[in-house]
Amino acid sequence: MAEIAQQLINALLLGCTYTLIAIGFNLFFGALNVVHFSHGDVCILGAFMILILYGVAKWIGAIAVFPPFLLVPLMILIAMFLTGLIGTFFERVVIKPFRYAPLLMVLVATVALGMVIRETVRLSFPHGSNPQIFPRILPATSFQWHGVLLRLDNLIIFGTTIFLISLMFLFIQKTRMGAAIRAVSQDTEAAAMMGINIDRTVAMTFLIGSALGAIAGILIGAYNNIIRFDMGLMGGVKGFSAAVVGGLGNVYGAIIGGLILGLVETFAAAFIPGGTPYTDVFAFLVVIFFLIFKPSGILGEKVYEKV
Amino acid sequence: MRSRTLGRAILLIGVETIFFILFAAFMMTFDTMKIVLFILFFIGIGLLFTKWDRARHVLTNLFKELKIFASLWFVVLLLTVPFVFQSSPYLIHICVMAGLFAILALGLNFQLGSTNVVNFATAASYGIGAYASALLAVHFHISFWLGLLIGGSLASLFGLLLGIPCMKTKDYYLSLVTIAFGLIIYILLINFTWTGGPNGIPNIPPPSLLGHSFKDPIHLLGYQLPFQSNYYYLIFILVGGSLVVAHRLHHSRVGLTWNAIREDEIAARCHGIDVTWYKILAFCIDAFFGGVAGTVYSHYIGFISPENFAFIVSVVVVTMVILGGMDNVFGVIMGAILLTILPEKFRAFEDFRILIYGIIIITMLRFRPQGLFPQKMRIYKKNG
Repeated sequence: MAEIAQQLINALLLGCTYTLIAIGFNLFFGALNVVHFSHGDVCILGAFMILILYGVAKWIGAIAVFPPFLLVPLMILIAMFLTGLIGTFFERVVIKPFRYAPLLMVLVATVALGMVIRETVRLSFPHGSNPQIFPRILPATSFQWHGVLLRLDNLIIFGTTIFLISLMFLFIQKTRMGAAIRAVSQDTEAAAMMGINIDRTVAMTFLIGSALGAIAGILIGAYNNIIRFDMGLMGGVKGFSAAVVGGLGNVYGAIIGGLILGLVETFAAAFIPGGTPYTDVFAFLVVIFFLIFKPSGILGEKVYEKV
Repeated sequence: MRSRTLGRAILLIGVETIFFILFAAFMMTFDTMKIVLFILFFIGIGLLFTKWDRARHVLTNLFKELKIFASLWFVVLLLTVPFVFQSSPYLIHICVMAGLFAILALGLNFQLGSTNVVNFATAASYGIGAYASALLAVHFHISFWLGLLIGGSLASLFGLLLGIPCMKTKDYYLSLVTIAFGLIIYILLINFTWTGGPNGIPNIPPPSLLGHSFKDPIHLLGYQLPFQSNYYYLIFILVGGSLVVAHRLHHSRVGLTWNAIREDEIAARCHGIDVTWYKILAFCIDAFFGGVAGTVYSHYIGFISPENFAFIVSVVVVTMVILGGMDNVFGVIMGAILLTILPEKFRAFEDFRILIYGIIIITMLRFRPQGLFPQKMRIYKKNG
């Protein structure tokens, strides 16, 4: 029993990461009908931002002066903001020019963008091809509870994720900008006719999506204690898979999809003998299964093609 | 009239030979400064050609009229490559690699170019061909020639498997499936013990033909050609074969159908085209080409590991198709050759290779989506 509970906690954490990435995919797909294939790499940039900020903080001596519970949230906020800006910038430079071009173009362009991001990260860090040690920004204490090991940093991660996701939902449901985002995702042209500034709304979705993605990147770094330049490829594919399983374009679907992928991976690793190296394979098989039998995902609406 | 034809033939030989000599000289230059000058010179010729209409007309007419003669002379020139690069096997090696990637790019062109189906699993079919024939050769001593067929067929089977999801999905979803398939194959190759895991398969025997091992140099007309020449000629035949297949397919009903699907899938379906079947066909043919290229690669290098078949290889092949010109057989081959030779020429910037590939894709898509050599409109002659 304790074993299953332990694995459930792991699955929940992994699911959080995938959900955060998948939300970005769903927001972008809703706003522009594009899949931003380099979103995973943008997310990992968040983790690298923390790496840089931590280095800067160490260099100017801020680590010794400020207590971590002040400094760490500040660093995370800055990393989120910077990653959000970078995401918006990529939208302007790489995605926007293809708004009226065939779908294939933006698809290949974003895959190429992912390559550019990965290589830039690799080349700009010393020994960039090797994994970089992720700074321990969260407390490392842990405690037992009915035979289940709970790590404090995991609890913080989990709490932060839930808080941020709820905040985002509130933003989308209650604010003017959120209404604009929903309107654009329903019908871009009609929204434009109602006087919504499409460019600004799209930029906003990219800001939110990339900022949430930065948290996912930081989670991956904090969970593995290392980050590598190419982690974004796998992260992006998994995040997109989660979005597809949940129903592409549906922000709530991201949560379900992320949790399903997290469950599949952790349980494949824990309960299938010798399954640990093949967790990704199981996850992808589930996704392919979904694509064959329910391409619209769990919460997605069935789309009918029109000429 | 005959003397006019003769004069034109001589002109043609002259033009082709000059280009060949320029190419050979470019290949033998190793000084970065001179290489840059060469490239600027080539770009200058290209620009001149697009601007100066009269010269272009004369030359294109020349090539059109003496089509067979022009291609024959071109073949003769290409056959002399190992003689020209006799003293530097490295240059022949580059040519072999360019040929391999040309086969891969030609295969992908059926999908990406003709049908507009994105496939990011080229590396997977390439790897399946390579591993299948290598394992057969190492464990069961099956000859390369049989392995070539088996590797191609197994890869083709994989293409069929990959094509099945495309019955229900397209666009983004389908590209997700291909990426996932590519990553699955990569993960499996790393983790299976019988494929040698991350260490790969060493000591793959070279092929032999009529008692002549491909590891031995060729003795011909008093020349001793390095052993890479064997593979050069093999690849030459394979690329030639692929070229013929690609050309014939493009001008057949199948090619026309693929183009119809590219232009408008629903309209194609309304005209009674079985879209799914034709897409799966494109997947299978692409995978076969990939498998054949993989088989040759594994036996040529003699050692393979999963790293040779990572996701990035697929993106590189996609870059070749986009740079060369989608759906244009000649352009795709040029794209493969350019993107194999140029990185080798700029070895000093090896680290930036993939970064530059990415930038090339984005700029090409943005400013010249039809590629360097755009596909011309299909022209049908009136009968009678």
